Amino acid sequence: MSPRPTLLDRRLLLFTGKGGVGKTTCVAALALEAARRGRRPLIVELGHRASMEGVFEVSEIGYTPREVGKGVWAMNLDFESALEEYFVEHIPVKRVARTVMRNKTLQKFFHAAPSVSEVAILNKLSTLEAEREGRKPRWDPIFVDLDATGHAIMLLNLPSVMNGLIGDGPMRRLIDGFSSLLKDPRKTQLSLVTLPRELPAQETVELYQRLVRQRDVDLGLLFVNQVPERPLSPNQAGWLDRVGQRAAEVGLNTLVDDVALARRAMRQHANARAQINRMRKDIALPIIELPVLFDASLGLAGLAEVGQQLVAKIEEASA
Amino acid sequence: MTTLDELLLSRKLLVAVGPGGVGKTTVSAALGLRAAELGRRTLVLTIDPAKRLADALGLTGLDDRIREVPTTSLAAAGVVVKGTLHAAMFDNATSMDSLMARVAPDNATRDKVLRNRVYRAMAGTLARSHAYLAMERLYEVMSSGHYDLVVLDTPPARNALDILDAPSRLASFLEEGVVKWFAGQKQGSGWRAKLMQGSGAAATKLFEVVVGKDLADETIAFFDAFYGMREGFHERAEATQKILRAKDTSFVLVSSADATHLADAEALAQGITSRGVPIGLAVFNRSYERLVANDPLSIITEAGELDIPSALQTLFQGDLDHIEREGMRSLLASLHGVRQAAAIGNARALGAIRKLAALLPKDVLMLIVARLDGDVRDLPGLHAMAPYLAVPRQLDGR
Repeated sequence: MSPRPTLLDRRLLLFTGKGGVGKTTCVAALALEAARRGRRPLIVELGHRASMEGVFEVSEIGYTPREVGKGVWAMNLDFESALEEYFVEHIPVKRVARTVMRNKTLQKFFHAAPSVSEVAILNKLSTLEAEREGRKPRWDPIFVDLDATGHAIMLLNLPSVMNGLIGDGPMRRLIDGFSSLLKDPRKTQLSLVTLPRELPAQETVELYQRLVRQRDVDLGLLFVNQVPERPLSPNQAGWLDRVGQRAAEVGLNTLVDDVALARRAMRQHANARAQINRMRKDIALPIIELPVLFDASLGLAGLAEVGQQLVAKIEEASA
Repeated sequence: MTTLDELLLSRKLLVAVGPGGVGKTTVSAALGLRAAELGRRTLVLTIDPAKRLADALGLTGLDDRIREVPTTSLAAAGVVVKGTLHAAMFDNATSMDSLMARVAPDNATRDKVLRNRVYRAMAGTLARSHAYLAMERLYEVMSSGHYDLVVLDTPPARNALDILDAPSRLASFLEEGVVKWFAGQKQGSGWRAKLMQGSGAAATKLFEVVVGKDLADETIAFFDAFYGMREGFHERAEATQKILRAKDTSFVLVSSADATHLADAEALAQGITSRGVPIGLAVFNRSYERLVANDPLSIITEAGELDIPSALQTLFQGDLDHIEREGMRSLLASLHGVRQAAAIGNARALGAIRKLAALLPKDVLMLIVARLDGDVRDLPGLHAMAPYLAVPRQLDGR
């Protein structure tokens, strides 16, 4: 009997969350761990700005996957290139396909037309998933950094939006194909990334509810980034009043400030815990907590280390 | 530019841009409040504020009407508001519909667009529409003459550059090549007719390959109807572009001191400057811990030493039993640990801010705000930001 697949066993690992919650670092750390385990992970960023360039300190991550460091590969899935590839694939006469793609006017048209960018992106993701080297998949696994929650919803929603609008044809086959890849829980999983603060937590709960209602994709884990450590033990906190009072009486001002600082840190810690508990109540996903100093400033070695601990934690949580 | 007050008194529009999750809306509201204190009739246009801030601004309704923010709660704190503070919140789907209705030349065109399935599928989800709507709303309030200063809080998207590009993108799309190519046919004028002939036929075919025939038809019908609105859009696009690039407009870059946020802020700043729009102000929000209560503006990066035995002696003389002494000793050690962590965090933050500041033009006014207590729940809470806004920061390495 094969054990239940854990995170890295999926083919397509999608990540979403509001901007600034640390998706990029999270994805980079997990990919580094996948590579350390002898896999060949590919990180796919969607079009806007290649954040991975900063993390891996390389310039120019383009449409063609390249190795960015420590066995991790990355690419920037921009819409124009994806569309061109799609045309070349689906239009029998290559010359026509290229002529049309070079037409600036038409490019603008496709930019403004609805769903075209989603279709082109989904097509490329399917292609990447299907790439083989011999009998093994070329990319293993594929991490997709979905820039914003809106983007994720739009992509995942595409099959249902299109259902009412498209008839038969290559498009239908593509959508159906992607739909089955997306809906297969052994292959695809969407994880959420958030912060233990009121607004991100609230938005994550709403996003989760929406995703559960739509049932387009298997939901994986909830990563909570920048979780503060408990600054004082409960025992220590019990002494705080007395120290604060005495320090004020004898004029040890630094200590008075320290007490105030500790109280603020305790409040921040308590708020973070409250938000995590609230998400634990409303979101039926395993929660993986990440420390405060988890960002690009750790450097690759630091990120790889966190990635190793992270995957160990994940495997423990799903065991 | 030397102080924030001078900026607030000399500008008609401030556009706050920055990555999500840095408190951009709070900063926008605090800037608006300060301007109102200075006597200006101020409007803060915001998108999707956190619930408590929305409550603080009185934006509890679901609609997007402009409301006056009562400032009486500030009088108790001795703060005089000489001007007025107004606020409004965007609501996407309904605003999009009313925008279409306003721009449409006649009711038939309006209905055609509003009923189109492609439009319906797009209207709620199209991320880019945020930017169009923000610009549309801005155009409206700026030309009303009701306000001396408008503070525009932009969508919390990484691609906030859409604010600068959105108006002209749609207009140029309608106006330039695409339209010349497809439109202007007498019989069955517009997209469909043109698409059916010559190179247009290839285009239709191609489009059908991508999205299928039904959706292609519906989309063409959508652009057909849209085309009828091009003049309306074009006018507004020109007007808003003019406003955004006016001398009395300043962009405000808002960021935290987190590495991720600063990287996004840097990309944004480059994008903005490369479009020929100057940044007047950079606000680094929630950037440091206050280590000294009576000097909250100091960004302290050295924790100093704590001699625990001597501190215990000063505090309690010999007045502790063994257990108390051990408890106190461990508490003081932890307290110092918290201070050290905060100082290290401050040093990191300051270093990261300096790095970004070095990339900004020399005349940009820099403000750094400490991590304040809790969320902003009311106007006095918002006013807690005031001391930090009053002090321009000189950053070495610039």
